Amino acid sequence: MSLSVLLFGILSILAVASALITVISKHPVRSAISLVFHFFMLAGLYLTLNAQFIAAIQVLVYAGAIMVLVIFVIMLLNLENENKLKSKYNILQWSAFLLGLGLVFLLGVTYLSTGTGLQFAPEIAANNSTAQALGKALFEGYIFPIEAIGILLTGAIVGAIVLAKKKLS
Amino acid sequence: MMQELIYALPLTLIFILSIAVIMVDAFTGKNKTVAYYFSIAGLLGVIIAAIYTMTLPSADLAKMAYEGTISKGMLTYGGYAAFFDILFAVAGILTIVAAKPYLTREYGEYKEFYSLIIFAISGMMTIAHASNMVTIFIGIEIMSITFYVLAGFIRTRITSVEAALKYFLLGSFASGFLLYGMAMVYGATGTLQLQEISAKIATGEIVNIYLQIGLALLIIGLSFKVAAFPFHQWAPDVYTGSPTVVTGFMSTAGKAAALVAFIVIAKSLLPTNFGATLINDKLIVVKEFTENATMIIALISAATMLIGNITAIAQKNVKRMLAYSSVAHAGYLMMGIVANNENGFAGIVFYSTAYMLMQIGAFVVVGVLERDDTKFQQISDYSGLRKSHPYLAAVMALFMFSLAGIPPMAGFPGKYLLFTATIQSGYTWLTIVAVVSSIISMWFYIGLVLNMYFKEKEGDALVADVKSSHFTIAVSVIGVIILGILPSFLIDLAKNFF
Amino acid sequence: MYELIKFIPLFPLLGFLINGIFGKKIKSESAIGGIASAMVGISFILSFLLFWDLLSNPIEKPVIVSFFTWIATGQINIEIAYQVDQLSVLFALIITGIGFLIHIYSIGYMHGDRSFYRFFSYLNLFIFMMLNLVLASNYLLTFLGWEGVGLASYLLIGFWYDQKFEGTRITWTGDAGMKAFVVNRIGDFGFIVAMLLIYVTFNTLNYQEVANAAASQYGTLMNSGIITAITLMMFLGTTGKSAQLPLSVWLPDAMAGPTPVSALIHAATMVTAGIFLIARNSVLFSLSETSMLTVAIVGAVTAILAASVGLVQNDIKKVLAYSTVSQLGFMFVALGVGAFYIGVFHVMTHAFFKGLLFLAAGSVIHGMHHEQNIKKMGGLKHYMPTTYKTFFVGTLAIAGIPFFSGFFSKDEILWYAFSSPHGGILLWLTLAVSAMFTAFYMFRLLYLTFDGKERFDHHHVHPHESPKTMTFALVVLAILSALGGFVNIPHALTPWVHSNPPFMEFLSPVFAQANFILGEHSHEIKPEMYILMLLATAVAISMMFLAKKWYLDPSWKKPRQLAKEHGFSYRLLLNKYKLDEFYFFTIIDPIIALSRSGLWKFFDIGIIDGIINGSAKATSVVAENLRKMQTGIVQNYALIMMVGIIAVISIMIFGF
Repeated sequence: MSLSVLLFGILSILAVASALITVISKHPVRSAISLVFHFFMLAGLYLTLNAQFIAAIQVLVYAGAIMVLVIFVIMLLNLENENKLKSKYNILQWSAFLLGLGLVFLLGVTYLSTGTGLQFAPEIAANNSTAQALGKALFEGYIFPIEAIGILLTGAIVGAIVLAKKKLS
Repeated sequence: MMQELIYALPLTLIFILSIAVIMVDAFTGKNKTVAYYFSIAGLLGVIIAAIYTMTLPSADLAKMAYEGTISKGMLTYGGYAAFFDILFAVAGILTIVAAKPYLTREYGEYKEFYSLIIFAISGMMTIAHASNMVTIFIGIEIMSITFYVLAGFIRTRITSVEAALKYFLLGSFASGFLLYGMAMVYGATGTLQLQEISAKIATGEIVNIYLQIGLALLIIGLSFKVAAFPFHQWAPDVYTGSPTVVTGFMSTAGKAAALVAFIVIAKSLLPTNFGATLINDKLIVVKEFTENATMIIALISAATMLIGNITAIAQKNVKRMLAYSSVAHAGYLMMGIVANNENGFAGIVFYSTAYMLMQIGAFVVVGVLERDDTKFQQISDYSGLRKSHPYLAAVMALFMFSLAGIPPMAGFPGKYLLFTATIQSGYTWLTIVAVVSSIISMWFYIGLVLNMYFKEKEGDALVADVKSSHFTIAVSVIGVIILGILPSFLIDLAKNFF
Repeated sequence: MYELIKFIPLFPLLGFLINGIFGKKIKSESAIGGIASAMVGISFILSFLLFWDLLSNPIEKPVIVSFFTWIATGQINIEIAYQVDQLSVLFALIITGIGFLIHIYSIGYMHGDRSFYRFFSYLNLFIFMMLNLVLASNYLLTFLGWEGVGLASYLLIGFWYDQKFEGTRITWTGDAGMKAFVVNRIGDFGFIVAMLLIYVTFNTLNYQEVANAAASQYGTLMNSGIITAITLMMFLGTTGKSAQLPLSVWLPDAMAGPTPVSALIHAATMVTAGIFLIARNSVLFSLSETSMLTVAIVGAVTAILAASVGLVQNDIKKVLAYSTVSQLGFMFVALGVGAFYIGVFHVMTHAFFKGLLFLAAGSVIHGMHHEQNIKKMGGLKHYMPTTYKTFFVGTLAIAGIPFFSGFFSKDEILWYAFSSPHGGILLWLTLAVSAMFTAFYMFRLLYLTFDGKERFDHHHVHPHESPKTMTFALVVLAILSALGGFVNIPHALTPWVHSNPPFMEFLSPVFAQANFILGEHSHEIKPEMYILMLLATAVAISMMFLAKKWYLDPSWKKPRQLAKEHGFSYRLLLNKYKLDEFYFFTIIDPIIALSRSGLWKFFDIGIIDGIINGSAKATSVVAENLRKMQTGIVQNYALIMMVGIIAVISIMIFGF
C-alpha cells in the first residue's frame, strides 16, 4: 500500500465522517464547523492529486467566503426547535439514510468489482491544474462557457435582488 | 471570425439583450413601458437573426461550429438550434405580452420580470446551441436559476414562494446528478465534446462502467428537468404555485429546452446503428447497455404519461390539471428520444412547437380569469363560460381539443409523428401505452369543455381581464390551427435538421 | 366522373362553416335550415350520379381519388384520398339520402329552438365526418371520420344540455353525451391497436393494399394469430361505435338528444359504421375463423338481450333504441357468418325503417308536448293520421311481415345463420327468438301509442299532427320501407330468374376476395328455405295478434299478471340486466378511486398539506408554513426521487 492510498483513505474517512456530523448534529453551529472541516478534507484530497491550485481555491472560496455567510445566517435566524422537528420525521430520516447507503453501496461496489479499482494519475493533474494551465484552458478552449457563466451570475444577482427587494410597489 | 460572428448572431444578440435590458431598467426610472417594448423588440431581432442563420448552408455551419474561434467546438449553429432560438423567442414574446396585464393586476408590474425572461431565454438558447457537455450544463443552470426566481416572483403569495423554494431545493439536487453524470461520461471517454464522445463509443474504446453510470445519471437529471416520473413531483406544485403566465412559459419553453439537451445527448451517447461488420466483443457490451438505457427512457416515458393523465382526472383545479397534463406531455415528448431517429426528433420539434402554442394559450386563458392567487381556478368556476365569455370558451375548447390530440388541431400531427416514429424503432408497446393514456386524457380535457359548454353557472359570471393577452391568445389559436391543417412544412423542415 | 367524389363531403363542410360562423347573424330559420339541407341535397345528387355510373359501368377494382397528403412523415403518410367503389358509394347514398330527409324534417322539429343554427351546423358536420369515414381509402382517414362522427354525436346528444335526463348515474343530458364519449374511447382503443398491428404486419394502411396483400398470401395468414388479433381488436372498435356488447350501454342514453339526431346518427348511419368497417375489411375477417365466430356470437347475444329489454320499456325512444341495438346484432351475425352483402343490405333497409320509426316517434313527441312515456299516450291515430300510417308501415317492415323491406333482409340473415358453414341451428334459434321479441315489442309500441284508450291529460296535452316539413320525410321513408326490399328478392321467391338479385350483383366485386377465401355459397333453392320463411312469417303475425290482444285490453290484465308472476325477470329486463351498474361497480368507480385516493394521495400530498391549507390560513406567518413544508413534503419528493435514482442506476449496471 503506497503512501498516497493511505493518505487518500484517511482523508476520505475524515471527509465522510465530518459530512455525517454536519447532517446529524442537532446544533447548527456544530454542523457549520464540521462542514468547514469537511471542506478542508476535500482540499487535502485535491492536494494528494497534485492539484494545488484547486485545493487553494477550495479553502478560499468554500471554507473562507461561503461558510462565513452560512454562519452569519445561522446567527441571524437563531434556530432553536431542532429537537421537536426531529422526532416527528424519524422514519423519513431513516429511509433517506438507507437509500443513501444503497446508492453508496451501488456505486462503490461496482467500481471495485469491475477491476478498474482505485487509480491515481497525479502526474496528469499536475500538468493541468496549475493556475497557468487552468487559465489557458478557461480563456482559450472554454471561452464561451466562461462568457455564459457571466450571464448566469448576472441573472442570479438580478434574481436575488428581485426576491430581496424590500418595497412592494 | 467575421463569418462566425454572423452565424452566432442569435446567441450573441440574446446575451447582449439580457445585459441591455438591465441597463434600460436602470435608466428608465418609473417608466415601465420602455423595458417592455425594448424586450419585445430585442426578441424580434433575435428571431430575425435566427431565421437568417437557418437559411445558411448547413455544411459551412457545421465546419465553423467545430473550428470556429468563438465556439471552439462548444457550439453548433443553424439548423435545429436556430429553430429552437425562434421557438424560445416566440414563447418569450407571448409570455411578456400576456404578463403585463396579469402582473399589473395581481401584484404590480416589475421591470425585472422582463429581464428575467430574457435571461431564461439566453439559457435555453445556450442549450439549443450546445455541442459540449459543459455548455449544456451551463445553459440548463442559467435557465433553472431564473426559473427559481420567476416561480417565486410574486413574493406576497405563499404559494408562489413555496413553489420557488421547492423548485430550488429539488432542482439543485437534480443538477448535482446531472453534473455527476457528465463527470462520469468524461471519465469513460476522456472528453466532453459530444462529437468525440460518440466517435469513442462507436469504436468501443471506453470504460464501460463509467459510461453506464454516467448515462444513468444523465437520464435522471434530464428526466427531472423535463418533469418525468418519478422525478416529476415538483412539477405540479411548482406549476400551480407560480404566477400563471410564468407557468405557461416554464412548462413549455423550459420543457423544450430540456428536451433539446436530451436530444443531443441521446444522439451522441445512444448510438443506434452499429454496423454489422464492426461488431466486436466490446461493442456488443456497449450495444447491450445503450439498449438498456433506451429501455429505461421508454419505461420512464410510459409511466410518466400514465401517471400524469390518471392523476389529472382527479384534479378540480384547472391550473393543476394543466400541470399534470404537462407532466403527461413530457412522457409523450420523450417518445421521440426513445425512437432515437429522424422522425422521433422531428416529432419532438413539431410537438414542442405545437405544445408551446396550446399550453401557453391555455394558461393565459386561466390567467385572465383567475383572481387573487387561487380564486376562480376551479373547474366548476368555468361552468357556463360559453354564455359569459363565448370567445374565451371557444379558444379554451380549441386548446383542450388540441392537447387531447383531436384533429385538425396541432396536437394531432405532433402525436402522430411521435407515435409512428416509436413504432418505427420497434417500441410498439410504448405506442400502445401512449394511445391508452391519451384516451384517458380525453376524460379531463373534454370534461372541461363539457363544463364550459354544457353546464350552467351558479352564481356570478367570471370577469375576464384580457387586454394585451388578446395578442397571445390570437397568435396561439392561429398557430394551433395552421399547424394542425398544414403540418407538412414544419415536419419537412424539422426532418432536415437531423 | 370519379373525381366527383371529392365534392361529396365538401358541401356539408361548407354548410357547417356557413351555419357555424354566420348562423347567429342569419335570423331566418328557413334560411339556415335551407342552406344546411341544400348542401346535403347536393351531395346526395352527386352520390346518386356516381351510384348510377357504377350501376351502368360496374368496376372490379376500387378507384382511388387523391386530394392531398396531409401529414407526410416519410413512413406512414396520412393521405386525404377517397375510394370509389360500390360499398363506399352505397353508404354515401344512404347517408346523404336519409340525411337530406332528416334535415328537412328537422326544420319543422327544431322550430323555435334557441340555437337553431347550432343544431344544423352540427348536423352538417356529422354528415361531413360520416362521409369521410365511408369514402376514405385508408384506415387513418376512416379513423378521423370515426372520431369526427363521435364528436358530432357527442355534441348533438348533449344539445339540450340543461335538460334533466334519467339514467344510471346520469342526471343531465350533457352527462349522456359524456357517457357516449367515454364508452366510445374503449372502442377507439381497439381500432387504433388494430391499425398499429396492420401497419406492423402489412407495412401499409391503405385498404386496397392491405386487402390485396392479405388475399395474396391467404394460405400462410389463414387463422394466424396476428390476423385474429387484428380483427378482434377491430371488432372491439366496432362494438363501441355500433353499440354491441360489451359496449352497448351508451346508445340508450344517447336518446337524450333531439329525436332527428336519434334517427340520423343513432339509428340510420353512425351506428352502422361498425358494419361498414367489417365489410370494408371482409378479407381480413374471412381469414380468421375465430373472429368470424366471435362476431356472430356477440351479434346474436346482443340481438336477443337487447330485444328482450325492449319488451318492457315504456319510453318510446328507449324501445326504439334497444331495437336498434338488437337489429345491429342481426347485421353482425350476417357479417359473422360470411354473408357480407346481406349485412350491408340490412344496413340499408334498417336505415329506412328505423329512420322512419324514429322520425315518427319524434312526430309523436312533438305533438304530445315532449311526452315520451307510451303509458301516457294511446288513441293518437285519430289526432295524427299520417304519423300513425307511416309508423304502421315501419312496424310492419321491422317485424318482418312479408314483402316489406325488413322481411327480405331479416329473412336472408336468418337463412344464412342457419345454412352457412359458419352458422348453425343455435345461431338461427337465437335470432329467430329475437325476431319474435322484435315483432312483439314493436306492435306493443304501436298499439299503446296510437290505439286504445286515450290516457293523456286532455287539459294539458292537445295532440296535433306535425307540420308538412316533418310529414314529408315520413311519407318518403314509409315508401322506401315498404318497397326498398325489392332490390334484393331472394332466389327462393323468384326461382324463374337465373341471375343474382341486383343488390347482390352490385356489391359482388367488393366482396369477391372474401368470398373466394370463404368459398362460395351455394345458390340452389332448398325446401328448408320455405319452411323457415313461413315459420318466421307466422311468428311475426301471431306476435301482432298477441300484442293486440294484450294491450288493447284497457286494463292490461295479462301483461300485468305476467310481470307480477315473474317479478325477478321483469325487474331484470326493466333494469337492462344492470349492465350499467355492473360497469360502474367494476370499472369506473375503481378508476376514479385510484385517481382520487390512490395515485393522487400518494403523489399529490403537496397540494393538500402545503398549498391549500396554507392559503386557507393566508394570514398565518409565512415562516411557519415554510418550515412545515421544508421538513415534510419536499423531503418526501426527494425520497421518491432517490428510489427512482437507485432503480435507474441498478438497471444500467445490472441490466434488466
